[in-house]
Amino acid sequence: MDKSHCGSRNPLELSFESPFLRRCILAAYWLLILLAVPAWWRTTSIERLSLPTSQVLKQAKREIEFPLEIHLSSSVNGVDTGALARELERTLEHRLSRRLSVIPHGPEDIFVSSETGSYWVKLTQDVRQSTIENEILLHPWDIHDPIASSALTNSLAALLSPYTEQAHAEEREHVVSKYAPRFRIAFTLLNEDAASGRSALSWDIREALKYNILPVLKRLETLHNFTVESQVQYHAPLAFTPTTVSVDGTDVYGLTPEDLTVFVNSAEWTLSSGVTNDPVLHFLMFIPSASRRPLHILNDAGMPTGSHSFILPQWGGVVIHNPPFETEDNFYLSASQLDHVSSIFRLQLLSLLGVPRLPSGVKSTSSLSRWQIDALLRRRAQENVREAQQTLESIVKLVEQIENMPVGQDVKQDVEDALAALDQAFEAAALSPKLAFDHSARALTLASRAFFNPGMLALLYFPPEHRVAVYTPLFASATVPLVVAVVREVVAWRKQRKAAALNN
Amino acid sequence: MRLFTWTTTAYFYITFCLSLLTTTFASDGATSQEAAQDFFSRHAGPENGSNHTNNWAVLVCSSRYWFNYRHMANALGMYRTVKRLGIPDSNIILMLADDVACNTRNKFPGTVFSNQGRHLDLYGENIEVDYRGYEVTVENFIRVLTGRMDASVPRSKRLLTDDRSNIFVYMTGHGGNEFLKFQDNEEISAFDIADAFEQMWQKKRYNEIFFMVDTCQANTMFSKIYSPNVLATGSSELGENSYSYENDADVGVAVIDTFTHYNLEFMEGINKTSQLTMQDLFNTYSFEKIKSTPGVHSDLFTRPLDRTLITDFFGGVARAELIDENAIVEHTSGPTTDVDEAELARSEDIPLPDILADTKNSATSGRRSSSPGLMKQLRAWCPVAVIGVLATWIVMSR
Repeated sequence: MDKSHCGSRNPLELSFESPFLRRCILAAYWLLILLAVPAWWRTTSIERLSLPTSQVLKQAKREIEFPLEIHLSSSVNGVDTGALARELERTLEHRLSRRLSVIPHGPEDIFVSSETGSYWVKLTQDVRQSTIENEILLHPWDIHDPIASSALTNSLAALLSPYTEQAHAEEREHVVSKYAPRFRIAFTLLNEDAASGRSALSWDIREALKYNILPVLKRLETLHNFTVESQVQYHAPLAFTPTTVSVDGTDVYGLTPEDLTVFVNSAEWTLSSGVTNDPVLHFLMFIPSASRRPLHILNDAGMPTGSHSFILPQWGGVVIHNPPFETEDNFYLSASQLDHVSSIFRLQLLSLLGVPRLPSGVKSTSSLSRWQIDALLRRRAQENVREAQQTLESIVKLVEQIENMPVGQDVKQDVEDALAALDQAFEAAALSPKLAFDHSARALTLASRAFFNPGMLALLYFPPEHRVAVYTPLFASATVPLVVAVVREVVAWRKQRKAAALNN
Repeated sequence: MRLFTWTTTAYFYITFCLSLLTTTFASDGATSQEAAQDFFSRHAGPENGSNHTNNWAVLVCSSRYWFNYRHMANALGMYRTVKRLGIPDSNIILMLADDVACNTRNKFPGTVFSNQGRHLDLYGENIEVDYRGYEVTVENFIRVLTGRMDASVPRSKRLLTDDRSNIFVYMTGHGGNEFLKFQDNEEISAFDIADAFEQMWQKKRYNEIFFMVDTCQANTMFSKIYSPNVLATGSSELGENSYSYENDADVGVAVIDTFTHYNLEFMEGINKTSQLTMQDLFNTYSFEKIKSTPGVHSDLFTRPLDRTLITDFFGGVARAELIDENAIVEHTSGPTTDVDEAELARSEDIPLPDILADTKNSATSGRRSSSPGLMKQLRAWCPVAVIGVLATWIVMSR
């Protein structure tokens, strides 16, 4: 063939064209692809570290138990504390369906420790009503009263396990806020319309809180960290018009039970404090406009009730304050005038935080006794443990269920730490409710952090046909010539071999 | 060159056939259904009633650009309604491209109207858009729902719900079979939403969810949900389009979608203390008005619809507890707007109303074949098969 016709040279006669070279080039391509496969596999697969599943499942079945110890002593003559202790132990165990021990003591060897779950009860004739003084329950004891011991059992049961014992426990349950390590407490003075005159222009909330709220917060700081803020608003219109009712010939304004549920006009009252992600508890003092006074809360029958305050579950509390009728001018609310309001705020705060009340017939010399705080600690510890267990369980379950959910090192670490914290909580339960609570709170925080880890976002779901549609235009055009070339080579090679065999 | 054209033609033909094949299988699928029923039986009970203490709303408009004016208006209309009925701005997550109010093509700058004649400006008052413009992504939406956020994300962008929260989730945009398009850029599938709800349920992030979708083939969007206590409604069935309601000649584009329009119209008649129920809302749905078949999915919802108040999802708080100031020891049990437990228990066996019947059918027809794993595998191997078929065909044709 004429080699001067460069444009149509026969490729078979090219200087560099030989079957061997051609096969080498082809092999190089395939080699590159094969070598790239592991890298491709590694870079496209999701990191899914294995979680301690069996441990989580085992942990999830455990329940935290707090041993309770009651020390009984008596300064009343003729009381057989030993027999009484046995009787109390039996009835209380039955009633609370939990193990506890009642230990009899002599009249003088009272020693109160503040850490462990042990409580002192002293039978005495010095008091007329059950009183908690210096964390000791002083119980009046009348030796001739045949039902004296059942009264004591009732009081103890209600003090030790207030959440299961109190009537309407279920009903009150939904009021209590979920546990959070930090709370923001916002006090707001709302004037419906200060322009109409006779309104409260300022309040001495700082001073008022000192007496009623701050001591409570101080006692509860083992559970939560509180931030307190306050504000005054001069124009806070209601979203509805209160109904007018006539009482003893005079017209008063009233809020029906339905009105209460929509009382907070969230669209126009700027109450929320968007600074942090911590839950906020709101406490509102509402002063009706001068033209709508007095404002009362009505009962179902449409008659005013004695109460001027209500709780919005998990949200906060509201107090409606009607200034005295003879008020002529705008006024200032001093701490002493706020005393009643702030004591209602305290009551609302305690309900919202789940602090148990003292059972009827028991009073306390301090604002919150250790009996109450410990009951709350036990309850919160129990809640946190359960919540942490469930969170861990759901992490494991979801990771198993959703195949393309990544699990990174930090998630694994948090899960392991949460498990360890749970273990510590179980151990600490025997020593002190406070310690168990601290560990349980940490377990919950860690478990939640693991669950909410931003890296745990599952890849989006794509149906296989989408993948085909995306990948094929990319890969088909590249792989088809390669595959075809290999097939051709194989065919050519076999032909060659056959020809060689024939020639031989 | 000719060969190449042939190859591409063949490729498209084959993928088309394959996708046809796979879609027929796909419409056959949801083992989730069984899992849900299983889960459901464990968690059912009247205590799952309207025990909520707070309400939240997640409103998503997944479209952008001027000609999608109506989707913006849909979301803003819902925003206005939930706000009017008492959900505070701090509890509303509004995701909106927000590019129409100040669009150069908007003859009425700074306004968004939802009706012919421009009677009500939805944009006028106090609008708090939490995710704006390019922040409206599938990822952000899923992060909002699941709570998996960076620590630096501010409170206003978070859904801080708990097990006593009722959440209203509203989505509008352009969609198709089991997907909803986000800003012409990406898609969220029905599976993603179902998985997100499940993760919320696992972490106790809701008490009840009301999920409403207004898009083409909207009912497919909730067909994969398997978590309990989710009530869902959509504007149109598989294969049906959802249509806009009306145009405004001066604005120049459609201003609202039909399904949303009729929902909002119903809501206008409701105030914060209304006793109307979800059943009343669903009874107003009809093909004649909406021009498509709205669906209601209540299999996963425990309470009877005629006892589920509209305000359970669109309102503010459910109850208030009076405090007895004189005795200061005991609460008097306060007025509640929800039905009492005994009544709920009794109403459990009330037969489900008619409108639910057809959704039940559609739900059962969506049951997945017995071996979903195998199916998945088969579908995953499709590309290999395609390449194999192509290669053989080229070799053989020589």
